[in-house]
Amino acid sequence: MKKSMNKSRKKWNVSLAIGTVLILAVVIVCIVSFIYMPHDPIEMNTTLNFLRPGANESYILGTDNFGRDILSRIMMGSRTVLLVGVVSTAFGAVIGIILGGFAAMGKNIVSSIIMRFVDGMMAFPGILLAMMLVLVVGRGEKGSIVAIAMFIVPTFARLVYSMVLDTESMLFVKAAKSYGITKRRLFKKHYIPLMATRLITQFSSSIAHAIMVETSLSFLGLGIQAPNASWGLMLNESRKYFLTYPYLAVAPGIAIVLTVLGFNLFGDGLNELLENGKGGKR
Amino acid sequence: MQNYIIKRIWSALVVIFVVSFITYFVLMLIPGDAAQLILGTDASPDKLAELRNAMGLDRPWIVQYLEWLGGLLRLDFGKSYLYGTSVLGLIIDRLPVTASVAVLSILIAMVVSILLGTVSAIKRNTAIDYFSRSVMQIGSAIPTFWIGMLFIIFFGLKLKWFPISDYSPLSDGLFVHLRSLTMPCTVLAIGEIGMMLRSIRTSMIDTLDQDYMDMARVKGLKNKTIYFKYAIRSAMIAPINVIGMQFAKLMGGTVVVESVFSLPGLGRLLLIAVEQRDVVLLQGIVMFITAVVVFTSLVVDLIVMLLNPKIRIRTRGE
Repeated sequence: MKKSMNKSRKKWNVSLAIGTVLILAVVIVCIVSFIYMPHDPIEMNTTLNFLRPGANESYILGTDNFGRDILSRIMMGSRTVLLVGVVSTAFGAVIGIILGGFAAMGKNIVSSIIMRFVDGMMAFPGILLAMMLVLVVGRGEKGSIVAIAMFIVPTFARLVYSMVLDTESMLFVKAAKSYGITKRRLFKKHYIPLMATRLITQFSSSIAHAIMVETSLSFLGLGIQAPNASWGLMLNESRKYFLTYPYLAVAPGIAIVLTVLGFNLFGDGLNELLENGKGGKR
Repeated sequence: MQNYIIKRIWSALVVIFVVSFITYFVLMLIPGDAAQLILGTDASPDKLAELRNAMGLDRPWIVQYLEWLGGLLRLDFGKSYLYGTSVLGLIIDRLPVTASVAVLSILIAMVVSILLGTVSAIKRNTAIDYFSRSVMQIGSAIPTFWIGMLFIIFFGLKLKWFPISDYSPLSDGLFVHLRSLTMPCTVLAIGEIGMMLRSIRTSMIDTLDQDYMDMARVKGLKNKTIYFKYAIRSAMIAPINVIGMQFAKLMGGTVVVESVFSLPGLGRLLLIAVEQRDVVLLQGIVMFITAVVVFTSLVVDLIVMLLNPKIRIRTRGE
């Protein structure tokens, strides 16, 4: 750490720059999709199916098995990705912060039950819990959002829990307590601002995580359902044909990678910027 | 130290209990119960009630839950509606595939990330460091199923190096078995490398920045001795924890990989259970996988404790 201290205090870093550009790109694609798409992303046209990219000038990325324009479906899919990614993360973060904060400040039997519950939620490997929840809520956007939110909850709950416990012994907290501050006010006015940096960077990486889960669920046929578009669903739909038409499997995958990369880099870069001094370390 | 071990085992048991609770109640919320699933949606209410009674579904949920839990403890996971056989039998049939995939891919991921992570920490901010940092980022951004499809196109279809979705069990011979698992395991490993590499690199950098590293240099020790005798040993402690965590992610990841490569493993069975709404089967698989993961992380924790003198000493003082 000593050695990297010298080159700290950078205002901007590569990760943050690339991350911002990638996220902006997805957001712009999403906004544009409401104004203009080259073709109807849902309309099927079987006479024009399996057009390879470049085979027809108006279908830049080609068409799928139903003759739908892949570019338009990618654009439509960007809405799903952003909607499910951001909304489910926001949901999960709020619930997680409340649970974690409550558990850390309560310190009684209820709080230890909460934390054991959170431990249990976290113990489910990968998308297992999400897969179970989808069965309960139903497939589609709503089901995905609920399932992914529950996937995000434990991360935030644990983060907030440990951060609150860390700050508990700080002088200003003791001072505030000696003034007779209420727990809720202490949490809102002091802990949240103190934790904001970590929460924001965690939020960004969690969106990346949520998008990964969404695309995986959709790929398994448990997430977004046709005719709605999701990049994971597009890859799922291409599974029957991609051995003959490999181009089908290319564009949606690239879209996923760039988006997830964007949110991950943004989170990392922000972390580096806000916690400056650790340049190039993580 | 003994206290720590007991505490750790106790907390693992608590987690398993909570998991069983969540699993049971989440799946109880699914619209339509087992009786309805067996008889179909147009069954008469009388028949439904009769079957519910026969299956014990009309009793209070707490009784049903405790009975199920008791069954789990006796390794009785119940019977699958779909297959009509014991859930545990179905799980054991498919376990070797998933176990092979999981172990092989974690080995691949470990070897690659230890090598790359150590080198990139030593040669910080050089070409190889930038390379491994890109691997970290891209590795954790590529969805497993997509890289799987690309591998099938490239190594299966174009180069014809590996069979496309054609699983051969160990009984066909070790070579054929490994060959059929190479692609799935590599794909799964790529997803793991990102996190592992990151933690190994960070922890190695932290270690190299320690004062005793300067001390070793002042003493005139060779770089090779410093890196491989001192640094690696202390830098490996944190990543072992991560490897334990990654194992959990990996068990979840097998669902997707087994689906892409059509491997007849636990993940496939799980997906079938979800699609067919076979709740008993689903509960059984989820509990089994989660228990394996929890116990793995328990073992990893205990290993870390034995390796890490700091924890050993601290817990002794308690």
